[in-house]
Amino acid sequence: MRARVPFREGLFEETPGKGSLIGARCQQCGQIIFPRREACLNCLGQDLETIRLSRNGKLYTYTIVHMPSEHFEPPYAIGWIELPEGVRIFSQIRDWQERHLKIGMDMELYFERLWDEEDKEVIGYVFRPSTKGGGI
Amino acid sequence: MSSDLPRRVEGFERMREVAIIGVGCTVMGKFPERLPYELGAEAARAAIQDAGISPRDLQFAYCANLYGGMVIGQAVLGEIGITDIELTNVENACTGGATAIRKAWWDIASGLYDIGIAAGVESITTSPMAGKLITPAKGDITGELGMNMVARFALSQRRYMDTYDVSLEQIAKVSVKNHRNGCLNPYSQYKKELTVEEIIDSRPICEPITLLQCCPSTDGAAAAILVPLDLAEKYTRQPVTIAASVLKSGDYAFRWEDMTFSDMTYKCASSAYEMAGLGPEDVDVCELHDAFAMNELQHYVELGFCKRGEETCLLEDGVTDLGGRIPVNTSGGLLSKGHPVSASGVAQIVELVWQLRGQAGERQVANAKVGLAHVIGGEVTGLESGAVAVHILKV
Repeated sequence: MRARVPFREGLFEETPGKGSLIGARCQQCGQIIFPRREACLNCLGQDLETIRLSRNGKLYTYTIVHMPSEHFEPPYAIGWIELPEGVRIFSQIRDWQERHLKIGMDMELYFERLWDEEDKEVIGYVFRPSTKGGGI
Repeated sequence: MSSDLPRRVEGFERMREVAIIGVGCTVMGKFPERLPYELGAEAARAAIQDAGISPRDLQFAYCANLYGGMVIGQAVLGEIGITDIELTNVENACTGGATAIRKAWWDIASGLYDIGIAAGVESITTSPMAGKLITPAKGDITGELGMNMVARFALSQRRYMDTYDVSLEQIAKVSVKNHRNGCLNPYSQYKKELTVEEIIDSRPICEPITLLQCCPSTDGAAAAILVPLDLAEKYTRQPVTIAASVLKSGDYAFRWEDMTFSDMTYKCASSAYEMAGLGPEDVDVCELHDAFAMNELQHYVELGFCKRGEETCLLEDGVTDLGGRIPVNTSGGLLSKGHPVSASGVAQIVELVWQLRGQAGERQVANAKVGLAHVIGGEVTGLESGAVAVHILKV
């Protein structure tokens, strides 16, 4: 099996079949930030609590891209997913060809291969329309 | 709004008023055979000639550029006999040219210098970006995950259409208007009228943005010569005063509640109106950042030309057309005139100076006294956008 490496250290924690994005909550002003920083970007408070962000959110907006990017061949979908904490996450969206994307729909977090680098599989977070029903 | 005002230094009121006495630009287009410094030198030479000065009169220079490489300003000005002065190269993405104007304004207003040049130069065709979508800097998180400048605005447009029930036809009409204006501008990259159908049916780039809702890749340059207003009459009978110059970096995206409303533009414009002692109702002609057709509708609201929900009426009722109350993007805008990234902010100033002097030919706005220029640009993870600038010019 090829080595799996995160596309960036410190953004998420992947455990078998599960995992979460890692953010921080400022103990002084309550601001939640993603990714984690040394100090709160809102009030510069130093007392930050590391938190695991919700795995479910709603699709704030999306686009289907028809030009290649450094790592992705067109067409591919990207979007902003709003988590219950009020944080918006920019992410690749998967299963967009099977499921009709709609603003406000429920989305679910997954960790999977984004691209390959030499002999390594580069892993990151993606969202796909939630299979648990619900909807808007 | 007091917290949004520019931080004023002690004695701000004693700062000198600044005027533009000469402008020039290249024809915009795709020029694979022309090097960036050649374009820059042509624009600088035109501005110097327009001001009626010698290149040797210039005491300082700012030159904005994104993809041209090392010390391009020295290459541009060295080509026309300007060396041994204070010369600063500027990078601020699409706002680079406006940043050069802003910095030149400050150097004159503060009393440091009495005459200088602000230029912007871009040659996308000869750069590594030729034929590609512009992306954030290497290693940027959203960039790695597939973000590009078209997608950034396509994401806003999708939300905008969905939330405010704006149609693709209405958005396409911005491109129709600006391409119509471009036909009247000899410096425009495109001089071809387009229909709503052609725009919507052109190939998708980042849905719902199609090719003809996008500004093209453009090579070109523009330049302006600045002096204190009280020295301007020595050079020209038609000085154009810089009534406001405001530049801001983007705020954190976690404070950006509505991705269909540019807080940066709103704050920057509010500060500029305050500085000029003018309001949106005073603006006779406007060049705003229409990199994508929908930008123009959103910016009408942020610049105070109308309330939210009225922007499509402003367009469809012809208020922003030539002959309307506030003609917008008379040059053809970035959509038709073209978007030579770092030169665009200066090229907007060139168009407004021509309008305010009554030299805009077939696209002249009758009796224009106040002009507003707005640019925004640059993408970086975690911020609304990189930078925004608003200039207000008056005669």
